[in-house]
Amino acid sequence: MAAPAAAAAPASTSTSTSTVKAPKLSVTVDKPTPYHFDLGLLLANDPNPLDISRSDPLQREADLAAVARDGAQSLINQLLTTCQISSTPHGVLLSLPPPQTALPREKPIPAPKAETKWSAFAKRRGIAPKTREQRRNLELDEKTGEFGRRWGYNGANKAGQDEPIIELNAAKEAARKEGTTVRGDKRREIREKVRRNDRRMRKNERNAESAKK
Amino acid sequence: MLRQVKPKTARAKRAIEKKAPKAIENPKKALFLRGTTCSQITQDALADLYAFRQVHGKRFTKKNPVHPFEDASSLTFFSEKNDCSLILFASSSKKRPHNITFARTFDYKMLDMLEFNLDAETYRSISQFKTQKIPVATRPLMVFAGTAFESPVPNAFTMAKSMLLDFFRGENVDKIDVEGLRYVVVVSTDEPTTDGTADPSDPASKPVLHLRVYLIRTKRSGQRLPRVELEEHGPRMDFRLGRVQEPEEAILKEAMRKAKTSEERTKKNISTDLMGDKIGRIHTGKLDLSELQTRKMKGLKRDRDPHLLDDDADMNVAMKGVDLDEEPKRKRKI
Repeated sequence: MAAPAAAAAPASTSTSTSTVKAPKLSVTVDKPTPYHFDLGLLLANDPNPLDISRSDPLQREADLAAVARDGAQSLINQLLTTCQISSTPHGVLLSLPPPQTALPREKPIPAPKAETKWSAFAKRRGIAPKTREQRRNLELDEKTGEFGRRWGYNGANKAGQDEPIIELNAAKEAARKEGTTVRGDKRREIREKVRRNDRRMRKNERNAESAKK
Repeated sequence: MLRQVKPKTARAKRAIEKKAPKAIENPKKALFLRGTTCSQITQDALADLYAFRQVHGKRFTKKNPVHPFEDASSLTFFSEKNDCSLILFASSSKKRPHNITFARTFDYKMLDMLEFNLDAETYRSISQFKTQKIPVATRPLMVFAGTAFESPVPNAFTMAKSMLLDFFRGENVDKIDVEGLRYVVVVSTDEPTTDGTADPSDPASKPVLHLRVYLIRTKRSGQRLPRVELEEHGPRMDFRLGRVQEPEEAILKEAMRKAKTSEERTKKNISTDLMGDKIGRIHTGKLDLSELQTRKMKGLKRDRDPHLLDDDADMNVAMKGVDLDEEPKRKRKI
C-alpha cells in the first residue's frame, strides 16, 4: 500500500496545481456491523465475519493486513475524535476513559481496616485525622526562630532534662519510687507512654482478631 | 503457601506491602518458563512474547518438569514466589508440538489455563522482519477481529481474548502521548467451518487464531484525521486452541469483583461535556400553577362578600367625582 502513495508524492510536487486536486486518502472505514471500542484499553472489536484465504499464504497475509489496517484506522479515528486532547510541553496527550472490559483481578480486594478504639471515638466525636503538616516532626521555635524537632534527637519533648540545676517538687519527692532520682524522670515518662501505646495497639489487634471470628 | 513472616526491617516491610492486595492493582507481572522438552521454535516464540513484557515480566532459563494440566501446583508456587499472575509455559511433545500454555492465577491459586498450539510453518519471529523495533514498555493498540470473540457464552475464544488482553494491556494510565501510539496487535480468527466435510476431531479443521503485530505509519490525508498505514513488525504467530481449564465459578466471581473507590462513585446528575464544561441536572419539584400570576383584569378579581359591596361602590363614586359630593353629606344630615 505504501508503494503507490510514494510514487504519487514526487508527481504531485512537480505540478503545483495537481497537488490540490490530488485524490484524498480515505480515512473512513465502512463495515456492515460497526466496531465497538474500549478506549481505556486501546481496544477495538471487529464483530464482522472475516473472509481469510486458507490455501494461499500470500493472499492470507494480505487479507489479514487489510483487516488490521481497517481496525487500526477506525480505532485511531475514534481515539482522536472522542478523547480530550491536551497539548503540554511533554507532548500531545490523550485523556483515556476508564477501561470497560472486565478482566480478572490478580489478588482479592483488601479487607477494610479494623476499627480501633481511638478511631471509633474520633468518628463518634467528629475528630478529623491529623494532616500531614500536623504530623511533621519539624516545628518552628518561636524564641530562636529556627526549626527544631518535636521528638527524637534533640527533641523539644526532652527539653530541660539535662539542666545542671533542676527545681524539686516536695510532694513528688515524697512519692518518689525507691532508687530513682529526678535525673531521668522525663525519659522514664516517655518510655511509659510508649509501653502504654503498645499495650493499646495489641489490645486493638486482639479485638480485631476476635471480631473476625 | 509460603511462610508468613513479620517484617523485621523497614525494607522487608516495604517489600511485603508491595506484594499485598490493593484496591487499585499494579500491572500484572508475567512469568515465562519452559518445560523439559521444548522445541527451538517454541523457545523463540516465547522470547518474542517476552519482548512485549520486558518491564512487567520475568523469564526463567532452566527447564522445569511441569505438566500444567496434570498438576499445576509448581506453577502456583512460582506465581507466589515471583508475584506473577500471568504464566506462559512453553513445551513441545509428540502429541502436542509447539505448545504455549497461558495460565492466570488469582490470589496465587490457578484461575484458568488455555493451550495455544503454535503453527510451526507459518511462524516468523520478530528478528525476521527488518523494521524499526518498538521501544520497551509502550502500550499497543489492540484489535480483535472475527465473530468467535463476540460469543455471549464463555468459550475458548473469549478466554483467549481475555488472556491476550491481560497480556498486552500494559500499565493502567488515564493519559497517553499520541506519539506513544506506535504499534497495533491484531488477533483475527477464521470463521468456523460449517460444512459437514470437515472432521471435528481433526485439529486442522479448528479455526485458527492469527496474531500479528504491525507498526503504525500515519500519513496526511488532507482531512483532520490521518490515514493509517501498517508495516509488519512481527512476530507472526498462528495458533490453534488446545486444552482448556475453565475458571471455578466461585473464584472467578471473587476475581471479577470491583473495588469501591471514592473516585469511581460519581455524583448523580453531574456530568462534563466534550468541551470540559460541567453540566448539572436539577430537580425543581412540581409547579403550582394555581398561584400563577396572569394578566390582571377587573372581571377576574376574587368574589367579595355581598354586604361589603355597597360600601365599596360608594367609595368608588366618592373618589371619582366631586359633583356627587352632596349626596353623602345629605345622608349624614338625615
